[in-house]
Amino acid sequence: MDLIAPVAQAASGVTDTGVKDAGKAIALGVGAGLGSIGAGIGIGFIFGKEIESVARQPEMKDDLQSIRWLGFALTEAVAFYTFIFGLIAFFL
Amino acid sequence: MAWLAKLSTKQKVLLGAFLYIGTTILLLAVAGSQGKNEEFKPQNEFKLDNWIPIHLGPADLSINKAVLYLFLASALTIFAMVYIARRMQMKPNRVQAAVEAAYGLTKNQITGSNLQGSYAAKWFPFLATLFFFIAFTNIIGYLPLPTNTEHEVSIFGLSIPSFAIYAASANISFSLALTLVVWFSYHIEGVRAKGLFGYLKSFLPAGLEDMNPVGKALIFVIELLSQFMRLVSLSVRLFANILAGHLLLLFMGGGLAVLLGVAALGVLTFPLAFVFFVLEVGLIATLQAFIFATLSGIYIGGAVAETH
Repeated sequence: MDLIAPVAQAASGVTDTGVKDAGKAIALGVGAGLGSIGAGIGIGFIFGKEIESVARQPEMKDDLQSIRWLGFALTEAVAFYTFIFGLIAFFL
Repeated sequence: MAWLAKLSTKQKVLLGAFLYIGTTILLLAVAGSQGKNEEFKPQNEFKLDNWIPIHLGPADLSINKAVLYLFLASALTIFAMVYIARRMQMKPNRVQAAVEAAYGLTKNQITGSNLQGSYAAKWFPFLATLFFFIAFTNIIGYLPLPTNTEHEVSIFGLSIPSFAIYAASANISFSLALTLVVWFSYHIEGVRAKGLFGYLKSFLPAGLEDMNPVGKALIFVIELLSQFMRLVSLSVRLFANILAGHLLLLFMGGGLAVLLGVAALGVLTFPLAFVFFVLEVGLIATLQAFIFATLSGIYIGGAVAETH
């Protein structure tokens, strides 16, 4: 096996570092991509519910505004956590 | 241009999209690909060179680009606030009105709705300073400067370090230092308000009086862990937002086209860079400062609140 593996690698053009790099790139792409799905759904919920609430009680609009931005930023940060972990996977 | 006015909105949108994508395809056919560019290192924008090395034992306190940006931001914070406060007028001009609106935001939204009475008066300067300092740090990070490159710039023989679109808050040390200040101050304030055991007891949420001790201990451990998670979440939120914004601007504003050697890609991404720039400057920069200060207010308010 020790003899065959390097030859097979050389023949196919696939190297260890190449596979490793590909894995890292996939980790960054898939990780950050899947993470933003969740954050996207969450942000949609926040703005949707806010519109619903303002439609029901327009006098609450000013109070809801600051809560909406707080919720937006907290949810949006989830996407960035996955992005940072993706970067960690990519560079380490 | 008479024929343009006759078109319906739908046709105009279609024409615009066709031109947008058509230009890209045309350029791709004309210019083609130059192959991957290995020399261009866009990550150099975030590299910190020591300009004035200061080493105290193991601690590296050298002055670099991030430190300069921090000095600029703090000078700007102090100068803007003191200058406006000295020149208050009965009939405010535009700048004074804007600063007054920001002051009202810190006073009512960030401090007033999260802290009560004497605590609000005590912590308002701290939270307001946090807000303005982070906001200024974020905003000066988006100033496009003429020396915006990854290399050193030579002006009249002097090699000037490049000032790319760089924000000090895109570095985790900045947000972690601020987070540690907030974290320790709210714990110390909680202990001072309730005593050590009273403060630890207040970690337990209300309504657990009938629970057995094992369950209470488990919940206490989870609550204790969540206190440490606040360190991570508060610091990473600010730093990751700004870093991701800057990376996005960097790649959309031409970095991707140069890196891949496909000039036509620039036509596609450059308008998007404008859109993201407006989003980042107009919303994210101030919003992140607001969130950081608001969460600090919530944490301090939660630490000193009467057990509920």
